[in-house]
Amino acid sequence: MTDTIKDTTPAPTVSAAGLIPLPENIARALTVGGGLLTCVGAFLAWTWTSEFPGDLTYYGSPAGLQWLAFTAGLLTVLFALAGYGIKGLGWLTPAGGTTAPIVLSAFAGLGVTWFSLISIATELGGVANWVVGGVLAGLFSAVPVIGALALPKPGPATVRGKDSLKATLAAYVAKPERTKPTAILPGWQQRGIIAVVIGLGLLVFTYGIDTEGGELFSGFLIVTLLGAWALHSSGLLDRFSAISAGNRSYAMTLAFVAAAVFPFTQNNDHDANVGVNILIFGTVALGLNIVVGLTGLLDLGYVAFLGVGAYAAALVSGSEYSTISGTTFPFWAAALTGAAASLIFGVLIGAPTLRLRGDYLAIVTLGFGEIFRIVVRNLDGSSGPDVTNGPNGIAAIPDLSIGSFNFGENHTFAGFTLGRFANYYLLMLIVTVVVVLVFNRASDSRIGRAWVAIREDETAATAMGINGFRVKLIAFALGASLAGLAGTVSAHVTNNVVPDPYVFAGPVAPNSAFLLAAVVLGGMGTVSGPLLGAALLYLIPEKLEFLQEYQLFAFGIALIILMRFRPEGVIANRRRQLEFHEAEEPTEPAAPAAPATAGV
Amino acid sequence: MNTLPQQLANGLFLGSMYGLIAIGYTMVYGIVQLINFAHGEIFMTGGFGALTVWFALPSGTSMWVALPLMLIGGAVVAVLIATGAERFAYRPLRNAPRLAPLITAIGLSLALQEAVRNWYPKATDARVFPQIDAGPWHIGSISFSSGDLFVIIAAPLCMGALAGFVRSTRTGRAMQATAQDPDTAQLMGIDTNRVIVIAFAIGGLFAAVASVAYGLRYGQIKYDMGFQAGLKAFTAAVLGGIGNIYGAMLGGLVLGVAEALASAYIANIPGMEQFGGGGWTSVWAFVLLILVLLLRPQGLLGERVADRA
Repeated sequence: MTDTIKDTTPAPTVSAAGLIPLPENIARALTVGGGLLTCVGAFLAWTWTSEFPGDLTYYGSPAGLQWLAFTAGLLTVLFALAGYGIKGLGWLTPAGGTTAPIVLSAFAGLGVTWFSLISIATELGGVANWVVGGVLAGLFSAVPVIGALALPKPGPATVRGKDSLKATLAAYVAKPERTKPTAILPGWQQRGIIAVVIGLGLLVFTYGIDTEGGELFSGFLIVTLLGAWALHSSGLLDRFSAISAGNRSYAMTLAFVAAAVFPFTQNNDHDANVGVNILIFGTVALGLNIVVGLTGLLDLGYVAFLGVGAYAAALVSGSEYSTISGTTFPFWAAALTGAAASLIFGVLIGAPTLRLRGDYLAIVTLGFGEIFRIVVRNLDGSSGPDVTNGPNGIAAIPDLSIGSFNFGENHTFAGFTLGRFANYYLLMLIVTVVVVLVFNRASDSRIGRAWVAIREDETAATAMGINGFRVKLIAFALGASLAGLAGTVSAHVTNNVVPDPYVFAGPVAPNSAFLLAAVVLGGMGTVSGPLLGAALLYLIPEKLEFLQEYQLFAFGIALIILMRFRPEGVIANRRRQLEFHEAEEPTEPAAPAAPATAGV
Repeated sequence: MNTLPQQLANGLFLGSMYGLIAIGYTMVYGIVQLINFAHGEIFMTGGFGALTVWFALPSGTSMWVALPLMLIGGAVVAVLIATGAERFAYRPLRNAPRLAPLITAIGLSLALQEAVRNWYPKATDARVFPQIDAGPWHIGSISFSSGDLFVIIAAPLCMGALAGFVRSTRTGRAMQATAQDPDTAQLMGIDTNRVIVIAFAIGGLFAAVASVAYGLRYGQIKYDMGFQAGLKAFTAAVLGGIGNIYGAMLGGLVLGVAEALASAYIANIPGMEQFGGGGWTSVWAFVLLILVLLLRPQGLLGERVADRA
């Protein structure tokens, strides 16, 4: 291992001097020491009064934001030590360079510390509220950043002074191009790594959902996003996805177990409610991803299919407000009814439109989303036949019960009490797994390949003998029925269905704009992308209430910016990424890249 | 009042407005094959631009003075936003996969709507639009308001000017050439970027006229009025044959008349008693769109093959 590290550490040259002029050995010492200091700073008292949320007033006992700073400091120390080429830490940076992870994790520490200090100053009125500890922590957190920026500039050496500041900074956070040859680990180690990583993921996710107050959640976002970026630039994330790709079913099972453990870690049902909502919206976004991400059809009325499923389930739920209140279907039948109703509407909308260009589908689905709401409002008995009770909706949908298990009651398993939302969370998790399986199996099947072919070039795909219309209709109808399935659960979770949430753009989560933004932000054509996107887009306005007014504006701007600069989303599907950047590819063949793959 | 001539006239007034908006969809589509979802919102910002001019004028200004200024103000805002969207949002994506500009368009539409709602003074609810203090007039059994008069005069004027522009000016012929074959047009020395910007600008201009007509007809404008109006106008553009400017106007008129007749007469059809009235008009417009796509996807006047890949 040590040999490979020597290979990849760039030889210090004069032209590669750092942004801040310091000798390299001092810079390295600063990164390690600064990381340690950031950790120490977390143990100081940052303010004098417990009025600031989280109570940061104790020496020796970090709380909330301070733990986040501590985590960032620890990450910096680890990467900085790896930068020394210390034996046994080489695995931390499989991508080769250590500078980018150091820079990013140092910035995570700086960011969360100064964010806390600034919110202390603004909320308590003035910088006098930073006691000595706060000032020290602020200074400490700057040390590793100075050290990191004094490291030699990674990447191709350019004559100093010719680079713009922007290009220099970009070089500091860029992931190295080459990858170190990595040893193939024994199977039990691979599975161990997967287990540890998924456990850590559960821990981070649970921490994020449980955070109290906007300050802590903002700090959490700063550290998680910069930390994840640091891990990505170190190559650890790629390494992990390579390992888990080799153990796919094992990793999926563990992820499912981790998700199932989540409600047991919660002691109040509100957090389980957040969890179940994330699952519902994530699952619906995943269904939309079949249509948008795999097949490349823009469906702007997707939430209407969720609504069809929800209304269908509500009508057969046995609610006394249902217009066919005598009928009570068992859950499996209700779920099938919801999915089938959405399927029928999907075919009705898709059949005339999918013969034409994709743009027509976009606007017809946009219209369908709007018409669905209008029709549901009108079917109230006075302006139309009485089916849906109009704007009042169908209330008092009874809780599900499967066998003797009533979802509305608390249940105790081995000392853990599961509340109503936790029960539904587990049920929804099963639906999510079904959708994930459908997505994976479909995308690897003959039909899934046909979808991708259609997305890339419909004319060529048709010439190869694919029946474009039929394949597109299958994708569209499948997406619709998956949304209908999720809708049946969501009707029971919320206890009632009303027309208003099923709009194109609205203040509460299940609207088509939200779902589209979740898919696009997360990554089109991937499984984890829409789930991550839905979790982020749901949690951020939920935790940071002042953002709620502006969330739709932010969605709009985010869609424009993403399409311009990163159309493949946070989690990129490799093929999709190449497709989106086709126009930017250099025309000369990139021959030198080939030998790098030899060692893998 | 609910006579057939009155309903036909209502349909024509409404349809002229749809037609004016539909021009924006159809011109942009004809040249860059892009459905500009944000066009409904450009229409909406035109209305707010005109309203801003009204507030800037000294109170008590006669509408006869104010109206031209408001038209100019609305047009400036709508044209700036339309061309700005083209320049900064759509142009960088011209060679990207088809999905990218569509998603950008939908993002732009959300952002514009929310920007007006959040930052235009008191725009979270409908804002009252100034009215011309004249009319209503009666001709036979038909009665019409000053807003109706405005749109029935403005729409043919705009349409005639556009037809003349496209047919007989140099730029207009450059537009026709670009619509037929952008690459060849560029080789022949046509600045296609300029042509595209002009197409967006004309769309914005007509949308501004339509939004003033909307304000005069309904007496109020709202941040989300572009959504439904945009959908209807797109339906009109498809109905007439997307890419065809005469088709857009014709489609608007047909759609307007169809809506007026549907809301007045559908309840008279046996078995459909409950589906008449204003609440269902949008539904019938949508059904019409689906029927057109099913039976005649190239539209009434369209020559363009609708499923060109």
